[in-house]
Amino acid sequence: MNRLARLARAADWTGWLGAAIVVVMIGAALLAPLVAPYDPVAISIEHRLSAPDAAHWLGTDQAGRDVLSRIIHGARASLAVGIGAVIIGALLGVSAGLFAAYKGGLGDQITMRIVDGVASIPLLVWAIAIVGILGVGPVTIGSLQFPNEVKIVTLVGCLFSPVFARVTYAVARRIVGADYVKARYLQGASHWQIALGEVLPNCLSPIIVQATLLVAIGIVIEASISFVGLGVQPPQPSWGTMLSDARNALYSGEWWLPVFPGIAISVTVIGFNLLGDAVRDLFDPRNEARTLVA
Amino acid sequence: MFRLLAGRFFASLGTLFFVGLVLFALTRAGPGSPARIVLGADATSQQITQFEHANGLDRPFLEQYAAWLFDVLRGDFGKSFVTGRDVAGEIAGALPVTLSVVLLAFVIAIVVGIGIGSLAALRPGGPFASVTRLGVVLGLSIPAFWLGIVLIRFIAVELRWLPPGGYVPPSSGLIAHLQTIAMPAVSLAVYYIAVLARMTQASLQDALRGDYVRTARAMGLSSPRIVFYALLNALPPVINLAALSFGYMFGWALIIEQVFNIPGLSRALLNAISQRDFLLLQGIVFLFTAIFVLANLGADLVNRVLDPRQRSSA
Repeated sequence: MNRLARLARAADWTGWLGAAIVVVMIGAALLAPLVAPYDPVAISIEHRLSAPDAAHWLGTDQAGRDVLSRIIHGARASLAVGIGAVIIGALLGVSAGLFAAYKGGLGDQITMRIVDGVASIPLLVWAIAIVGILGVGPVTIGSLQFPNEVKIVTLVGCLFSPVFARVTYAVARRIVGADYVKARYLQGASHWQIALGEVLPNCLSPIIVQATLLVAIGIVIEASISFVGLGVQPPQPSWGTMLSDARNALYSGEWWLPVFPGIAISVTVIGFNLLGDAVRDLFDPRNEARTLVA
Repeated sequence: MFRLLAGRFFASLGTLFFVGLVLFALTRAGPGSPARIVLGADATSQQITQFEHANGLDRPFLEQYAAWLFDVLRGDFGKSFVTGRDVAGEIAGALPVTLSVVLLAFVIAIVVGIGIGSLAALRPGGPFASVTRLGVVLGLSIPAFWLGIVLIRFIAVELRWLPPGGYVPPSSGLIAHLQTIAMPAVSLAVYYIAVLARMTQASLQDALRGDYVRTARAMGLSSPRIVFYALLNALPPVINLAALSFGYMFGWALIIEQVFNIPGLSRALLNAISQRDFLLLQGIVFLFTAIFVLANLGADLVNRVLDPRQRSSA
């Protein structure tokens, strides 16, 4: 409660703006079939390349598909990849960081060297190369079929994990040696109780900060990989493939094709960045979350 | 100090060795063996065995990796099974193109980023600092490849100031060269301008609050000199971030090259993917990884050498 009150007081308007953008975008992605005015893949040759008007607010593309509907549906791929990758990265990284900090000795050394190894992989190049090697087809596991994006989520998630591992490790190392944790041992607490009950809650704020900022990076990565044709596969809409298609319209007058999908990406990323910064100011005063660069 | 540098260097080499091993394994994990790809679907198993033997593909996996790695260290990336061309030659043709875009972007990012960050730090809460804060959020959020598309649309197509794409090597005229790489470099630099400006601003503001600054002021040192000394103390984290950025820039350059249709490593990589040219792909990705590892090493060393507090914690 105390925290909530502090949040309401302290967060300036940029944080709220970020939160609002994030909520609207997630809402649009979840409710895409309900809020999108048209079918995002319905081709309509007689309405092709029509400028924004009352019927098509953001115009239509070369195949007469409604740009607004494609942007709303495209939010699904973007957010699924961004948020999914962060969840995978956080699960892997936090477990690795906790394990290393907790275990100490050789286990610590080996785990953190592996983390260093993963951190020295250039994400975008490897993502492009690996999807290229595996092909852009769907992934079949048992009777379930997943779209190509699953590969990207997994890859980006793995390559995000060192960020979480390092921040968790740094905080956890400090806490594991603290007197109150030793006291909890003397009270008879198990390793698991200490790890999950004492250590993890203390790592949570920098983890949340990193997670929010990494979603933003994940969204740009998804758009970029889709832009070069190795992400979301047509006709499924994605902001990256829409921009790739729009390159054909650069020399003619259809300004709405390159403009609106780019604004969609930028606004969403701004939302997560503003929210992440606000969360950092509130919950991470010691600044344990690292400066991110991608 | 020398021991520290050497230790870090060898640790990075070790990392590169293992990461390269993972890469080597992954390039073989895809559908279709090199023999199948080169000889076609109706090759007999005898032909395939012959091909694999001739190219050393039947040897144990680790032996193949060691042989490849030793060749790479000598500058020999092998000969492509698909095109028959020398991979090293292919890379040598494309690397300078990518490098010129990245280097220009790097210089722009450092000069503009540190410049804006310093100016914003001088008057915290002033109008320039507010504008910078807004600009940083925009710069961090606008994807480079979209910026490139927008620049092509307005600078090249509408205003006709610069060519919309393509590449002219510096040997055919420096001005024409810069004209072709200006927009790609700016698109690539914007994100890093924002990153570096934010770090410079935070770090310099911190430094200007230091006791020695107050003392210097009390002693009557001129304002520019004080700011200069504070900036020297504020720079290590900025240089660290710049070194990291340099490694990341190569990755994004791949996307930017696609936007501007520049015949750099991006085109070579995508060709390698579409032709399933594994040796070329392996070579390019290994090169990018080596650059990235070296950039990380540089960032780490900058930290330890420039920041005395971190020297002992090797």
